[in-house]
Amino acid sequence: MRVGIVCPYSLDVPGGVQNHVRDLAGTLIGMGHEVSVLAPADEDATHPPFVVPAGRAVPVRYNGSVARLSFGPISAARVRRWIEHGDFDVLHVHEPGTPSLSLLAVMSARGPVVATFHTAMPRSRAMAVAQGILQLVLERISGRIAVSALARKVQVEHLGGGAVEIPNGVSVARFATASPLPGWPGEGGTIGFLGRFTEPRKGFPVLVSAFVALAATRPKLRLLVAGPGDPSDLLAGVPAAIRARIEFLGLVSEEMKARMLRSVDVYVAPNTGGESFGMILTEAMAAGTPVVASDLDAFRRVLDGGEAGVLFPTGDADALGAVLGRLLDDPDRRAALAGRASQVVAGYDWPVVAARVVEVYATAIEATEGIVLDELPDLG
Amino acid sequence: MWWLVGVVGVIVLVATYLTWTASRVDRLHTRAATSARALDAHLVRRAAAAAVLAEEAAIPDLYAAARSALDADPDEREAAENDLTRQLRKISLSAEDPATAGVVGASRRVGLTRQVHNDMVRDALAVRRRPLVRLLGLTRRHPRPAYFDVDDPTLDPPSG
Repeated sequence: MRVGIVCPYSLDVPGGVQNHVRDLAGTLIGMGHEVSVLAPADEDATHPPFVVPAGRAVPVRYNGSVARLSFGPISAARVRRWIEHGDFDVLHVHEPGTPSLSLLAVMSARGPVVATFHTAMPRSRAMAVAQGILQLVLERISGRIAVSALARKVQVEHLGGGAVEIPNGVSVARFATASPLPGWPGEGGTIGFLGRFTEPRKGFPVLVSAFVALAATRPKLRLLVAGPGDPSDLLAGVPAAIRARIEFLGLVSEEMKARMLRSVDVYVAPNTGGESFGMILTEAMAAGTPVVASDLDAFRRVLDGGEAGVLFPTGDADALGAVLGRLLDDPDRRAALAGRASQVVAGYDWPVVAARVVEVYATAIEATEGIVLDELPDLG
Repeated sequence: MWWLVGVVGVIVLVATYLTWTASRVDRLHTRAATSARALDAHLVRRAAAAAVLAEEAAIPDLYAAARSALDADPDEREAAENDLTRQLRKISLSAEDPATAGVVGASRRVGLTRQVHNDMVRDALAVRRRPLVRLLGLTRRHPRPAYFDVDDPTLDPPSG
């Protein structure tokens, strides 16, 4: 199959959608498909060979964060040329709801189009106003994919129409084989956290107060933190005696992230809301690290209702502390959780996820051309 | 003189909009019709796969359901397909058996195609409701597309 994938966000900055696109493209190529990825990117930066840079992106404020997008007549011309030259069997756009390369690609596409919706954006006034325009975009899309139940709900309720729920993939092998950082996790136990700790809904303060309480009775317990932010914000509110036991790695690369997840005894996701999928949980599970997470819908689903990780009442630092204490003292339970988690996470491995995406491609092609394709790779 | 240019300009704009709307109506109806053909093909495939499984495992009820799904008249087809889904849910699936794997795969494809088809029908019906489209009778050449309303046919993947 010849697949053209459009990523709306610049590949020069890290991000969930960008990683998704890159991993999906790599996996599809490994399965024998021909893939070209169109994305905003600097022409002189280095990219994987399947990437076609669509020029520099402009930063745009959207949904509480800054997205880097390309939009305008020059981008539109580039998109059209790429589609003409590509001669794709199917076009796969990501986040076509925002003014971006994806939207331009949908409007210039002639053949089957598949769209993946990543964010679970709440209904806004802007969306209601744009409904008529959005409808023009949506009616050119044949197959819709949502990466989470929440994103799917937004699809069904606000945009009308269904969407197939296919979760984010994770490169299980890359996480499972990463080598822990030297000297970690150590003897006294290590708890891990990764993410934007200054963002309230990530719930980092919940973890900090649980850690402070635990550290009082466990002299060698350490906390390993990675993510963008200032270390002084991180340590605010932490007693001076304990500060030395919090190790901060800063913003880490994908490779370091895998090593960091392998370096901890327990990974904690104390989020208080807003998480639509919980990518980091599947990554920790792939790394073989037991997970403790807030009892949010998305997390409960990924953790198989609490079988593949421990859930605690959202925002409850005392409960988190109790759960962590028990888990740190019980290596057998940790091993059992990790074992169950590795079974669950196999369903999120990229080859499995990409095969499901290919099925949606096939369905979109068939529905547009009124034919049935020959056998696809078997999913079992 | 200028008023003439104005009138011609307005006529051109209106004509462009009407042409665009007419081609949009055509496009949406063509999509709904082609996806209906794809759905039909997948339903036939599923019923055939179910018939093979029924013969292999000697399940007469399943075979009968598969046959009546294949032979059903258009207005009875949804009920017949639902009946086939119910029969398929009753049997225990094993991962090793190729006939079972065929049925599971075919059912999943029916589910995907049904969803895509119903989305396309929804888009076509929405454009049919537009006052301008109704006024000008732009849908005269196209039969009204219909949803294919059945239970989700996707089967749980066999364990083990």
